[in-house]
Amino acid sequence: MASPRALGPRPLIEGDKTIGQVTTDICRLLDNRPSAAWWLAFLAAVSLLGVGVVAVSYQIATGIGVWGLNNTVGWAFDITNFVFWIGIGHAGTLISAVLFLFRQRWRTSVNRAAEAMTIFAVMCAGIFPLIHMGRPWFAYWMFPYPNARGSLWINFRSPLVWDFFAIATYFSISLAFWYIGMVPDLATIRDRTEGKWRRRIMGLLALGWDGSHRTWMRYETVYLLLAGLATPLVLSVHTIVSWDFATSVIPGWHATIFPPYFVAGAVFSGMAMVLTLMLIARRTMHLEDYITTQHVGAMTKLILLTGSIVGMAYATEFWMAAYSSNPFEQFVFLNRAMGPFAWAYWTMVTCNVITPQLFWFRAVRENFVAVFVLTIFVNIGMWFERFVIIVTSLHRDFLPSSWAGYAPSLVEIATLLGSFGLFFTLFLLFVRFVPMIAMAEVKGVLRIGREDRHAA
Amino acid sequence: MVDVSMPDDRSRGEREARLLAEAFGKPEESTSGISRRRFLVASGFTFMGALLFGCSRAPEETAFGYVEQPEGTVAGRTENYATTCAGCPAGCGILARSRDGRPIKLEGNPEHPLSRGGLCAIGQASLLGLYDSHRLDGPRIGGEAADWKEVDALLIGQFETARRGRGRVRYLSGPITSPTKQALIDEFLGGFADGRHVIYDPTHTASVLDAHERTHGRRVAPRVHLDRARDIVAVDADFLGTWGSPVESTASYASRRRADDPESFSRHVHFESRLSVTGSKADRRFVISPTERALVLQHLLVEIERLAGRSLSFRSLPASSVDGGEFQALARELWSHRGEVLVLCGADDLQAQIAANLLNVLLDSYGRTLDLQRPSYQLQGDESRLAETLEEIRRGTVDVVFVDGVNPVFDLPGGEDLRKSFASLGLLVSFAQRMDETASLADVICPDAHFLEAWSDARPVHGLIGFSQPLVRPLGHTRPVIESLDRWLGRGRDSRALLQARWGEGPQWEGWIEAGFAQIDEVAEPAASPRPLRPQPATGAPKDTLALVLYSKVGVPHGGHAYNPWLQELPDPITKAVWGNYACLAPSTAARLGVSNGDVVRVGVESGASIELPVLVQPGQHEMTVAVALGYGSELSRRFAGVGPEWIERRPTVGEDGRVGVNAAGLLGVSAPRRFSGAAVTVHPTGAREELARTQEYSYIDVPARLAPPSGARRPNIREVALGSLVADGEHTEHSGGEHAHASLWPEDHPHDGHHWAMAIDLTICTGCSACVIACQVENNVPVVGKDEIRRNREMHWLRIDRYYAETGTNEVDVAYQPMLCQHCDNAPCETVCPVLATVHSEEGLNQQVYNRCVGTRYCMNNCPYKVRRFNWFEYAHENELENLTLNPDVTVRSRGVMEKCSFCVQRIQEQKYEAKRRGHPLRDGAIRTACEQSCPAQAIVFGDRNDPDSRVAKLLADERHYRVLDELGVKPSVGYLTLVRNRTEKQEAPHHG
Repeated sequence: MASPRALGPRPLIEGDKTIGQVTTDICRLLDNRPSAAWWLAFLAAVSLLGVGVVAVSYQIATGIGVWGLNNTVGWAFDITNFVFWIGIGHAGTLISAVLFLFRQRWRTSVNRAAEAMTIFAVMCAGIFPLIHMGRPWFAYWMFPYPNARGSLWINFRSPLVWDFFAIATYFSISLAFWYIGMVPDLATIRDRTEGKWRRRIMGLLALGWDGSHRTWMRYETVYLLLAGLATPLVLSVHTIVSWDFATSVIPGWHATIFPPYFVAGAVFSGMAMVLTLMLIARRTMHLEDYITTQHVGAMTKLILLTGSIVGMAYATEFWMAAYSSNPFEQFVFLNRAMGPFAWAYWTMVTCNVITPQLFWFRAVRENFVAVFVLTIFVNIGMWFERFVIIVTSLHRDFLPSSWAGYAPSLVEIATLLGSFGLFFTLFLLFVRFVPMIAMAEVKGVLRIGREDRHAA
Repeated sequence: MVDVSMPDDRSRGEREARLLAEAFGKPEESTSGISRRRFLVASGFTFMGALLFGCSRAPEETAFGYVEQPEGTVAGRTENYATTCAGCPAGCGILARSRDGRPIKLEGNPEHPLSRGGLCAIGQASLLGLYDSHRLDGPRIGGEAADWKEVDALLIGQFETARRGRGRVRYLSGPITSPTKQALIDEFLGGFADGRHVIYDPTHTASVLDAHERTHGRRVAPRVHLDRARDIVAVDADFLGTWGSPVESTASYASRRRADDPESFSRHVHFESRLSVTGSKADRRFVISPTERALVLQHLLVEIERLAGRSLSFRSLPASSVDGGEFQALARELWSHRGEVLVLCGADDLQAQIAANLLNVLLDSYGRTLDLQRPSYQLQGDESRLAETLEEIRRGTVDVVFVDGVNPVFDLPGGEDLRKSFASLGLLVSFAQRMDETASLADVICPDAHFLEAWSDARPVHGLIGFSQPLVRPLGHTRPVIESLDRWLGRGRDSRALLQARWGEGPQWEGWIEAGFAQIDEVAEPAASPRPLRPQPATGAPKDTLALVLYSKVGVPHGGHAYNPWLQELPDPITKAVWGNYACLAPSTAARLGVSNGDVVRVGVESGASIELPVLVQPGQHEMTVAVALGYGSELSRRFAGVGPEWIERRPTVGEDGRVGVNAAGLLGVSAPRRFSGAAVTVHPTGAREELARTQEYSYIDVPARLAPPSGARRPNIREVALGSLVADGEHTEHSGGEHAHASLWPEDHPHDGHHWAMAIDLTICTGCSACVIACQVENNVPVVGKDEIRRNREMHWLRIDRYYAETGTNEVDVAYQPMLCQHCDNAPCETVCPVLATVHSEEGLNQQVYNRCVGTRYCMNNCPYKVRRFNWFEYAHENELENLTLNPDVTVRSRGVMEKCSFCVQRIQEQKYEAKRRGHPLRDGAIRTACEQSCPAQAIVFGDRNDPDSRVAKLLADERHYRVLDELGVKPSVGYLTLVRNRTEKQEAPHHG
């Protein structure tokens, strides 16, 4: 019988780190002055954000008409961006909550960043339902608040109302989960930092963490409970988002397959975005020991799985249309594949179904340049998936007389860029001010304290 | 020369304010005397005051009560006044709805013997002409504002000089149906040694008159009785759209197209080279070259002569593009129904007209379907007189020229030379209401009053006098032409006195004015018997040259209507294009030339004149034809430079030359008569592009063949059936079968116990004329959005008319129209998705939009299967205070960011409900007429309460032809359609499925 040690798993963190080294490695990012690369990236991100702010201000001042929408295509970039960003967020929740419950220990290197990504993505997503309104200054009417307008209430049958609650819940749970998970690390920073103010702030944020057994025990309990609370959200949020479409009467939207299809798509796109970000971080922040082929491998396999589910969903949609004998339904899918937006459809299929198949090969999974390129493809493909669903279904629906085209305006493109600007601005600030790898959790998966058990 | 530029905005604003003040007694200071700064200061104080003294939301305004309330006047209640439309010579009856002293809507007068309650798009839109802030507000001498005393003194002096000299005076006008005006013109011109009245119509040559002169010896146009015709053969006669008296024709045509009476259902065979509104309704349509219109009629004539046993007019004729067997079959049918048939020719080709007259003689139409003894005066004009006069003007041998109701410098070919000769006239007097091309050259402008400002009469047909009465005091210092003429004749009576001098006073007059018309016993004109005439044989169509067709559009038939933004933005019934003209080419022609929609081509005629226009590929058009609409490129359209919302990607509505479209009058040919059709023309692509603005991008009822699903390419929203199968085997049951039972997830908990409003639209008689579109726009304060917004598919019309083609052969199509408006679904998909309950269902089955609750998510718009919801993408302009007087005070003006759509004219429903309650009567069926229903000349739209089993709509909903569009979605629409019936013997192909 072979030695268990020989067959044992490869270490999750390479370089035989000590606990102290972990702290140093990760806090180094916070202690040092920002690098030139960070400044460049930050300036670029803030500039994009500025472009977006100008575009949105102009739009709110002038009217939705500054977008390329029309009487037939009432949503396009706005809701595409919304669903795209919400989907991105899902990987964070999946990694931090679901994988936690499944005791997937590799998650510790990426969960902090993934959760941060979730929060920022949900913030980006949340902007779009607000600004896509004709009168965003009345956005609070979506909220069932007591009012002096008789019994005027919101429409609980509207999926947009469900959306509002789903996203508000998602954002608050994700934020709480992220923050609670960060408390031990904030305490570490508090303890080793020298700046007076930083120490005070971190002291406040660390909630009086003292590292005692009791603190740890309560922390672990709260974390577990929050993970349990967040887990259903992975399924529910994108299910509810998909209901925006699935409960409508529009062919191409009205489909029972949407909830699982959307959830798989969300995890798919989110994983891709996590990988994109982590591969950049790994390279620029010298975290090679913390984010290893094992982490990347696990995530590419998840991408392969969810990507194949998404591909299956695409095929199922065609099959259902063919089987339905419904001419409208059949037309929508033929029109997707061969109509005026066929280029968008085939971009989507290529990026989401075909190229991720390369992840079957270990050589591709371990070639980080290839992985990076493929994840960018997935990001593009998943944006186009939402675009295809929304625009191609709307632009040619029941009555041929109202068929119309759609092309985005400059303002719409600027708004999309602005959302990326917001996302990266927040993410860059995040890596400067908060440990982007959960030190406390990583320390838990080091070899320290395990050697003996394996040796025995 | 006169400066033609429009007054700048500031002075215009002041002018509007002044006009408003003069008309409605509004204090002038309130709008024009306050600077922006003072306004801000004042509003700041007002705001503080409002804060200090409590929160009152009502804006402060001054309201004056009547000191003595006029009898019968109730503030806020609409009054109807009968009057007569002056939009064209057809003379339709109008009921003008007036609210608190201002007309807000023009509607058809249901009692009127010609129009019978309908009113066309132009008639509806002429309301805006009254409140047009660019209308000339007073006389001008040499371009400078003057007062009438100066003008009269100057002109009377000039006339005296002319009288002493050659006395050569020419009065150029459009058709004049007013007997009072005609008498005054004649009397006035009679005072000169050589005074002549010259009439021309910018849209046609009145060749009907010339032909009757040849065949019957009298220059007269017969009155056409389509309601007496069992078979109608029309050659290039757009009688439902732009020719003759479209509202009257549509009403009488529709009366013989009732599918519930298949015995009397007329059969309509149409020959034309471009697809017209009338041709689109034909049961059989032949696409011919404009050069073979006479030939086709002569072929038919020969066949009829053969059946009649007469000697043949022609031994041999060149073959036409129509198969000879078709003529024989058609001739047999016409011959068997003689006395009940009608051959109509609208061509400018005299030989074609003569052949049509000879056919009508042989087929016993005169005296039955055509009346020469009680003729029509709606078609007028004399090309030879026009040509002579133009020649005189060119040579400069005329002393005084009057221009009334026409714009020769724009309407007529001749271009710069013509302009120069008008500019160098001794004395040019214009009666133009607006500063058009000719008026800008005039020495004196004596602007005519709008027809809602003056008394007038009209005699569109023999035995019928229509009366116009003023609804408002003139908004400026305009003067009706008849008053001007009377003053220059040395009398100076006002228009009322002039009318009463002719028609008398007293109770009879009062009754006529109240009714809006009088049917008088006129002596019938003497019977005219046909004269023997040998027509000249026509030649066949040249095979290899393109022929030009210059036509008129329904909205802007000639330059005189180019000022009207409602008409400019009215989608053409056929092309669905707005704001401009274009070169229509058949699909095969476009392919041959290598051009597609929006490619700019140069269209040139032999004389050298040419214009550049974008291409519009038009199915149903003859392959060797180029069709271009007249009436565009007018100076009057310069005002639209600023129309439409302002934003960074905006493209202006006007072209590079500042005008909407291109004037094609230069292609009419230099020699008389004007040639509207058939001139040889060349078409060259220029390589430039100009995107067309159309409200319907995809034209066919079949989805593109490449994308056709296995279950079929045809969409089921149009259902049609051949009359033959309808009669023979009850085909309709298969086609409609009333309501399908669909499983529903919704509980039946909305019983609609009281009223349940519904509408039925008969696709058989809807001609697509688009009167309802403008009626809806005026009634519901729908904004004009400009060309660029239409290009972006953001039109605001609540009611659109979908036009579908079904291909039946090369360049041949069947056309179907489907008015599409909010369907007021009982299970409305828009209602469930609105997060803030801004669209809700009423107890009476109305789908209601609550503007001030709407936050503008557009989810309802996406989820509407009919795509009838309209979103306020921008804040649309309502800055022109004068033009705002057209706004219906009963309907909210929507602000940006909110959704809107057809309300079934809920304001009219409420008005009639209150009225019934006040009078203590039950609500009578037909009391509520939505704006679209009211305007429809064919009465294709019926609105009512479907809970009332005796209502017209309830009966139509139970009709076997009734179906609902997209019924299978289970949304339960309240608007139903009646299957389109074409008078064909058999089903040509399965028109639908499911």
